[in-house]
Amino acid sequence: MVEPLLRIGRSEVTPIAAGAAFLGSGGGGDVSLGEQLLRRTIGDGAIEVVPASALSPSDLVIHAGVAGSPYVMEECPPHGDHLGDAVQAVADRLGAKAAAVGIVEIGGLNALMPLVAAATLGLPVVDGDLMGRAFPRLDQTSLAVAGRSIEPMAMVGSSGETVLFTNCTNSQVGQLLWANTQALGGAAAVALYPTSAAVLSHEGIPGSLSMSHFLGTELVVADGLRSPRELAERIGADIQFEGRVDEIRPRAREVPGTLTIEDHHTGQVARVDFMDEYLSVALDGQPTAAAPDILAAMDVLSLRPVGTERLRRGQLLAMFRLPAVYAWPSQATGLVGPAGFGLGALFDD
Amino acid sequence: MLRLGVDVGRTNTDAALLDDRATGATSVLGVAKVRTTPDVSSGMVQAIAMLAADIRRAGDHVRTVMLGTTHFSEALQRANHLTPTAAIRFGPPSTGSLPPFVDWPQALLRALGGRGYLCPGGHEFNGRTIARLDPGRLREVITRVVSDGAEAIAVSAVFSPIDPEFELRAAEVVHERFPDVPVTLSHEVGRCGLLGRENAAILNAALRNYADEVVTDLQRRLRAAGLRAPVYLSQNDGTLMDIDYARRYPVATMGTGAANAMRGAAFLTGLSSCAVIDVGGASTSVGLLDAGYPSEAPHDVTVAGVRTNFRMPNVLSVGVGGASATGVRGSEALAQLAKRCADAVERVRSGSDALPVVAVGGAGHLVPDTLPGVPMVIRPQHSTAANAIGAAVAQVGGEVDRLVSLETGGRSRTLADAHQEAIDRAVAAGARPSSVSVVATDEVPMTYQPGDATRVRVKAVGELSLRDRDG
Repeated sequence: MVEPLLRIGRSEVTPIAAGAAFLGSGGGGDVSLGEQLLRRTIGDGAIEVVPASALSPSDLVIHAGVAGSPYVMEECPPHGDHLGDAVQAVADRLGAKAAAVGIVEIGGLNALMPLVAAATLGLPVVDGDLMGRAFPRLDQTSLAVAGRSIEPMAMVGSSGETVLFTNCTNSQVGQLLWANTQALGGAAAVALYPTSAAVLSHEGIPGSLSMSHFLGTELVVADGLRSPRELAERIGADIQFEGRVDEIRPRAREVPGTLTIEDHHTGQVARVDFMDEYLSVALDGQPTAAAPDILAAMDVLSLRPVGTERLRRGQLLAMFRLPAVYAWPSQATGLVGPAGFGLGALFDD
Repeated sequence: MLRLGVDVGRTNTDAALLDDRATGATSVLGVAKVRTTPDVSSGMVQAIAMLAADIRRAGDHVRTVMLGTTHFSEALQRANHLTPTAAIRFGPPSTGSLPPFVDWPQALLRALGGRGYLCPGGHEFNGRTIARLDPGRLREVITRVVSDGAEAIAVSAVFSPIDPEFELRAAEVVHERFPDVPVTLSHEVGRCGLLGRENAAILNAALRNYADEVVTDLQRRLRAAGLRAPVYLSQNDGTLMDIDYARRYPVATMGTGAANAMRGAAFLTGLSSCAVIDVGGASTSVGLLDAGYPSEAPHDVTVAGVRTNFRMPNVLSVGVGGASATGVRGSEALAQLAKRCADAVERVRSGSDALPVVAVGGAGHLVPDTLPGVPMVIRPQHSTAANAIGAAVAQVGGEVDRLVSLETGGRSRTLADAHQEAIDRAVAAGARPSSVSVVATDEVPMTYQPGDATRVRVKAVGELSLRDRDG
């Protein structure tokens, strides 16, 4: 069903961005910034796309992206050079050369920023990622679940200031990341999870870029007045509910926000819990879907995904659910399932 | 009291005369329709002239004139009447990754000159300055901008909604040395998001000179037609602004047609929630009305091919209209229109199958009487002039959109302050104080940020305070 993507030229950018917006599951930041930056960086050239298994086993893959507030990035767009510098800083630390750039998070802006890094450095990008959708924390990855280290990690701020983390646990990296992102003005380019192609081909999530491109192609075509049901069928998603947003209780720090919608077909009351992304759906109190599945709230008129920060009372939404493509091991549910966001109680088996 | 509404479409210009003392279709005393003229203003005045007899018959004066115009959106679409405009941006050098005018359409780039100038400056999210303002350097840059050919200037700065210092200082220097060069500051016309806000400022600056011409001309023509009433222009969210305000902020008039048609549909049917199909000569739009106002698009909308972050109505456009349905391929076009309407309505119905569907517009009769799942498409009386009626019943709004920390002051205090400020702004814009109420409040915590940083948006609307004038 999904054609493997082999190269990214200008014409692949819009579908990949549209797919990344969907996979963002309500978060990941507004992809248009990344889309514009990528198109400009690619110019008339192209980025080669390779599965991890096609690289030499000892080839070094360095993952890249952006950390911090999408709002800050919209005010002060990141520069491709800084993404490239972050990757180079990690490579230098390891005394090695990067053979390819990897994607940590296929949802939102972070699906596109590593591509900007790859284009800047003239390197191929791996067709895969480490999350399968957008998640807020750096340790919510298939590599972390397999016991791999995030560091050495580099961060580069808007004036090129560079910070390097080494010799720390994944948990410490998380804390250092927050502190330094604030110090750097709220957002930074990052390079992290340096991995051998061998490890990545076993422990990474394969095919993410191809999936994003496929989804995005269908979404872009949907502008030609396909109905939500038709679109869902074509992409292999199911629709959890359709209705008008009744109430939004915003998130308060670590307490998830809640969206309440009455499904106008069935009369069931749908409740969606969200923090930066959509995390779970319950219908009449019964849980029906949850992270790590992909949950995209689609505006029915435009058939475009609505992020958690764009929710408003009165909107007509159809909640699409795409089952997680990656078979997370059972020990991962505490990390990438509802329990990883403090929603455990509702979802105890 | 009589209200006169005019709305300009691609094909036709409509006018409607309403009596304030009634509501709904019974308040409509007369409607008129003329072909839209290339200069736009002549058509508006012609349509108004056609209502002269109704005005006389009513035996009262027109107390306000509301105009929904396309002067400025047309100027952008056609890339004419525009002034060569430069963009000055204050920020760190890294913003050069997406310089001013990036991805702009060729025709607009040619018309404006497309020159951007990056200067050190701007702020960080916490209010810290990125680089100190260098007055000498600023004067040099502005001198160069003008000698390079700019006749209008847009100034933007990173995080200017939090601290507009750089933009204000730049404006001072331009006014001092080049008083005839109009300046638009991004924090006055746009919201969070540098590129969208900068684009809004550039579009606005490029339209300033034309806006002056248009407003002066319209005022003269309306006076010549015997209308002494205050004149207001429709904004993109369906509320009004004083015509003199439009001299400085013409960019606020983008996208008014869709909003006015929907507001007209609401007024004529008494429905505050419905889907509205507006069929004009050239195209058809499907929009959603919620609580009396057009639903806002949850994504950024481009204007004339330029990305902006204006709040625009959520509208599905179909490129088939009344004009296509005549002639040799007419029946084919008609069938296509019916199909596209059915498809659009099916999308809407997936969100709410009880939502009524209202057809308006000059060619609204081309919408089938029934659509799949919709046993009766509502066609109110005067639906062909729904847009002009919507303009006539528009309200005055005030809005607050800012980042706050809920920690300082507490949540309820902060929201109460924002509510009051929105109300005060509506009154300052001309609303009758006793009629103002808050119609929307959004509290959106900033994603991927620790702490309580929250974006608070409050919108208040009220009825226009009608002042009695001589004449």
